[in-house]
Amino acid sequence: MENELLSNANNCSFCKNSIDKDVVFCPECGHPENGTDKQRAQFFAKRAMKKNKKIDDENKISSARNILFILSGIMAVLGFIIYSNTDNIIDLAINFFVAFIYLTLAFWSEQKPFIALLIGLILYITIIIVGFLIDPLSIVKGILWKIVIISLLAKGMHSALELKNKENNRF
Amino acid sequence: MSFCIRCNKSFNTEVNFCTNCGSKIEKEKNNNRNIVDAILGFYIMIVCYIAFSHFIYKAYQNSLFTEILLEVIFIGIILTFCFFNLKEILHLYKLPSIKINLYLKYLLITVFSCLLIYFSVGKLNELIFPDKDLNIFSSYLYLENPLLWSLFFVAILPPIFEELAFRGYLFNLLLKLTSPKSTIVATAFLFALIHFSFLSIIWIFPFGLFLGYLRKKHDTLWIPMLVHFTHNFLVVMLDFYFHNKELTELL
Repeated sequence: MENELLSNANNCSFCKNSIDKDVVFCPECGHPENGTDKQRAQFFAKRAMKKNKKIDDENKISSARNILFILSGIMAVLGFIIYSNTDNIIDLAINFFVAFIYLTLAFWSEQKPFIALLIGLILYITIIIVGFLIDPLSIVKGILWKIVIISLLAKGMHSALELKNKENNRF
Repeated sequence: MSFCIRCNKSFNTEVNFCTNCGSKIEKEKNNNRNIVDAILGFYIMIVCYIAFSHFIYKAYQNSLFTEILLEVIFIGIILTFCFFNLKEILHLYKLPSIKINLYLKYLLITVFSCLLIYFSVGKLNELIFPDKDLNIFSSYLYLENPLLWSLFFVAILPPIFEELAFRGYLFNLLLKLTSPKSTIVATAFLFALIHFSFLSIIWIFPFGLFLGYLRKKHDTLWIPMLVHFTHNFLVVMLDFYFHNKELTELL
């Protein structure tokens, strides 16, 4: 009985998972163990594409993280400029506080990219709306930059989510 | 049991790929993108509501009708979003098991933190905004029963609907995408951010962390609601007390 079971079992040449001898595709990684050359070529092509997608996702997360660092720098510099014009220490404190939040989120995105980028995006949108409440015309000032920043943060956040899903499902 | 949607082959064991055609076996529909869209949509809706109410308050100051109308809009937005997550939301309204000692401990922490915040942040507010009247009670003096109205608008409505929005709807959605710890941090941050005040962020963020922790630990909205109510109730009563004290001193 044991010999019979062993004779029907085989290991996948790609992921080394134990599979039945008669199956065409490995149920674990999808490798066409008993498939045609065309199916094998398709399998490796798909894997290469997935790998490229992973690199692309990591680049998008990295770009979004850099945006958070840049926003932090901008807020700090802006704080100094406003302070030098108004002599109001509160303006400086608020700008420094927001810069500190962006900086914290940028570092946190190394461990938890999705949630850090989501909060970063929401904070940026909130600051735009607060600016609109103070001066309604501020919403159109540098609108292209605002769109670029929002789209980079959103892309980074979605890439982090996709990467997380892929990590949960290795193959 | 799973099956391949391409060749209809069924499997008794857990598989990632169909052994017959090589297609990926979808275990559950991946709707993470929809969840992210729902979170962003909900937050942007609330922020737009705040912006809208800011202009309405400016145009129609001291009007009970405006106050009620804006509250109705806010409640309407929250209930509309919650309607799409009704089953999970209703689950949060189950009554928790009664542990008097534990709840007393939470209430003591709330009272202590409220007093600490009231006097420290209050003093800081007075220093930064010396000309601004920040007394909540006095902003309802134009009404016949200011104490009752201020309790209704500050101590009763916000704990019910803010908890439903942040510890209910947003918490449930974020929990599907990230870990409980990250969810508590994110909801606390968004809760602080929505108050649109630099000084508020400093104390509302830790308060939000505490409320999020209670929501996660007891899996109910009743305890965060009770803590939130106690905090806001105390603030209104302290404002009421200091307002009357100032008046008697003036007289």
